[in-house]
Amino acid sequence: MKNKLMHLSNETMNIGFVKKVEALSGSSVRRCFQCGKCSAGCPMSTFMEHPPNRVVRLLQLGQGQRILAGRSIWYCASCETCTTRCPNKVDLAAIMDALRKLSWDADGPSKESYVQLANRLFIENIRTYGRQYELRLGAAFNMKSGQFLKDLMLGPKLISKGKLKMFHSKNKNIAEIEGIFKRIEEMRKKGEAL
Amino acid sequence: MTPGKKRLSYSYYPGCSLHASGREYDISTRALFKALNVGLKEVPDWFCCGATPAHNVDELLSLSLCAKNLSLAEEVEGDLAVACAACFSRLKTTQHHLKEDDSKRKQVEVAIDGPAALNKPVKHIMEILAREYGLAKLEESVKKPLLGLKVAPYYGCLLTRPPEVPELDDCEDPSIMEDLLRALGAEPVKWSHRMECCGANFTLSRPGVVLKLSNAILESARIAGADCIMVACPLCHGNLDIRQKEIKEAYGAPDSTLFGNIFGSELHGGSAPDQRDLPIFYVTQLAALAMGVASESLGFESVITDPKPLLRDKQLL
Ligand code: SF4
Ligand code: SF4
Repeated sequence: MKNKLMHLSNETMNIGFVKKVEALSGSSVRRCFQCGKCSAGCPMSTFMEHPPNRVVRLLQLGQGQRILAGRSIWYCASCETCTTRCPNKVDLAAIMDALRKLSWDADGPSKESYVQLANRLFIENIRTYGRQYELRLGAAFNMKSGQFLKDLMLGPKLISKGKLKMFHSKNKNIAEIEGIFKRIEEMRKKGEAL
Repeated sequence: MTPGKKRLSYSYYPGCSLHASGREYDISTRALFKALNVGLKEVPDWFCCGATPAHNVDELLSLSLCAKNLSLAEEVEGDLAVACAACFSRLKTTQHHLKEDDSKRKQVEVAIDGPAALNKPVKHIMEILAREYGLAKLEESVKKPLLGLKVAPYYGCLLTRPPEVPELDDCEDPSIMEDLLRALGAEPVKWSHRMECCGANFTLSRPGVVLKLSNAILESARIAGADCIMVACPLCHGNLDIRQKEIKEAYGAPDSTLFGNIFGSELHGGSAPDQRDLPIFYVTQLAALAMGVASESLGFESVITDPKPLLRDKQLL
């Protein structure tokens, strides 16, 4: 993608995608006048190939695919600095959330979306236990991402400090939590929720 | 307490971290509230609010988890006290969104099979200390002022952002942490990174990012002359405390090779980098210490960067 001229045509402009992003995020992308304030304050922009202001610009031009092909959305830390500072009330943090969801729904995990793998495991923990079980979270992440040795030395230290629990008990109201997950899945199946 | 005035009392949502990696935040919060004679009653059967991961994947799920927790909290009297910055942000964001957006609220109410408790006031413990208990009364309650302790107050991302949600303080120039520190007798330093991101939940998936951002925060605090950093978020605490040794290894003293020397000294203005350990305190640990709570009941043994040498040095232990 890099250094390639961008051709704007009916084929490359996916306005439907932009509309989805706007619906999911509840934020307009057209309001942006490219002042760059969002990117100037973004702690993660040095890790991104498209900093936040360019993500909005690409959306304005209907170039969702160019954003999803890169790693920007997976490096956003959800710190809300962009949303806080935008003079035009573009909710970039919410737009980033929407882009991550759409990317995951369309393509599943990718090598750039390790973060999302961690996020998924975090959510699995809620469904299974009701609360986070940090030891299992770390172990499962390392297994699934193939980074077996990462942070191995940190584990025993944290356990001895009482910071990681070795065992975990389930919430008593775990059935109610399962109910929430199920009802959301149902609503989506019936097209009653995005 | 003035006679006739009701004793302050709150329902309490600790959140997952405070029951695990951030246990000293929970312990010290309870100890502090007890010392101040403010009631704190944990919401029974609360569950994970979803923190950042849930809204990164699925906003509806995130809103529903928080809404369900809010309705569980309704069963306990008193405004809802929250210590974790992430839980606080998610619970407040949920109330805000659901009040603004009727169709979202309806979806959430289907998901949780009941009404969302949008009017239960959610308050960060710093807000409770500074505004409801009150700075003046807090200052009066101090038994052991933190004299001579230079503290870098660290807000991080979620306590004040986005502007219309947390209602805790100014979103670009907050002062609640500085106010609290002064009331405790400590000296807040002026520094550049008090609202910069520490890398937050990248700690599992991209530790390199965390090392880089957290290093910048620690450096900035050292340059400002701080003895320690004060936080109100278990994620910030984890990144700055647990990873401090790793950060030093990654960004520390230049090695003895030629290139190490040249680039190392150039980067650090010709002198060796400042490598002091910076203990990371929770706001409640410092406050409880000032209230004369015994240090043994503040969870210092769970911390990686040992704060005791500093506290001894300042005659606070
Ligand atoms: S701060 Fe707002 S208006 Fe400025 S570039 Fe970013 S999104 Fe656009
Ligand atoms: S929310 Fe994401 S895009 Fe916005 S400033 Fe923070 S890291 Fe950057």
